[in-house]
Amino acid sequence: MNESALLYNYLLIGGVLFALGLIGFVVRRNMIVMFLCAEMMLQGVSVSLVAWSRYHDDWGGQMLVLFIIAVAAAEAGIALALILMLFHQSGSLDMAFWQDLREDDQPAFVDHKPTEDDDRDHIWPTLTPAGIEPEVDPDEQMHRSKI
Amino acid sequence: MILPPPLFAQAGALARSPLCWSIMLGAISLWLLFARRTNAVRGIGKMLGGISLIMLATTLMIVGDWSSQIVFWFLAAVTIVGAAAAIISRNPVYMAIWFAVSLLGTAGLFLFQGAQFLGVATVVVYAGAIVVTFLFVLMLAQPEGHAPYDRISWASFAIPAALVGAAAVIAIVLTSLDSLKAVDERSPTPAIVASQQHMAELGSHMFAYHLVAIEVVGTLLLVALVGAIAIVVQGRKPQADSPSDVVQMPNVHGDLPGGAR
Repeated sequence: MNESALLYNYLLIGGVLFALGLIGFVVRRNMIVMFLCAEMMLQGVSVSLVAWSRYHDDWGGQMLVLFIIAVAAAEAGIALALILMLFHQSGSLDMAFWQDLREDDQPAFVDHKPTEDDDRDHIWPTLTPAGIEPEVDPDEQMHRSKI
Repeated sequence: MILPPPLFAQAGALARSPLCWSIMLGAISLWLLFARRTNAVRGIGKMLGGISLIMLATTLMIVGDWSSQIVFWFLAAVTIVGAAAAIISRNPVYMAIWFAVSLLGTAGLFLFQGAQFLGVATVVVYAGAIVVTFLFVLMLAQPEGHAPYDRISWASFAIPAALVGAAAVIAIVLTSLDSLKAVDERSPTPAIVASQQHMAELGSHMFAYHLVAIEVVGTLLLVALVGAIAIVVQGRKPQADSPSDVVQMPNVHGDLPGGAR
């Protein structure tokens, strides 16, 4: 395979992944979503590190990615505990709740009205029915009270 | 001494490059999808995103023969589409699932490079452990799934964020990748990293040169585990540090004052 082309493509994909994670981290307000966006940035870095490792024919990049995965796992454990604790204190995963920690002279961030909660937000995954439909006993239908 | 080209020349080169147009189109598409006013706006956003993805695919370089090229395009598309869908989906559960899809694409990219161990580790640790753990927390904290703070952003932050993200990628391209694209070398497959004995070589390198670091990372994982449990326990415990608090608190469980348990 063309090694420099591989490096070019992987660096570009890593950069795009990093940028998408950055955008998500800045735009979203849910704490869990923000954390996963930070993980996405780590993934972008990992992709480019693996590409460099192959280009230079050296294990260093892959070792660094291994350490990134281990540290990300540790970070996930800590962040999970912290987010749970913050959730118990504030009752929501909203990051804007914690603007109470700002300095005294800073203006408060005031929300504009959120967009309507439309039907798309209530669509949940459903299981398709499978197997034979059971026969309905009419006698049982008549005599048993349905609960 | 070679002077760097003047700024406007670089800007002209940028304006001619399809990559920059593709990234700017992607930024506009992300902004439209973040706004999500009507179905029509979202449709336009998705269409622009698709166009920008196709333009991005045309700027990528040919890595090899047709079969590997198709596999590479597929993996790259899964990675980037999964990441984009993750950051625009309103429902955090779907966000986590799309992120897992993007991680699977990344694992495939690792395997494509011959980094077998990292590909498997990404699937097991990231998609298997981290995302699933966060799905648990999500179900615990937000079981109904749709909250007002998932539908809005900070004031009108989507435009500058998308632009800054696009500018970050363009800066990467501008500084490093253009010179790389000029080089078209058909070098042989790297002998060490892509060898047949991948796991054995990686393991011997890991424990020969990074033994202390591996031990430190293992200790770090243990410390993080203990720390996470300590944080949760500390957060649950009623504040019984000072005696005045203890007096005011109703002693429901019949514990000793001072919280001795």
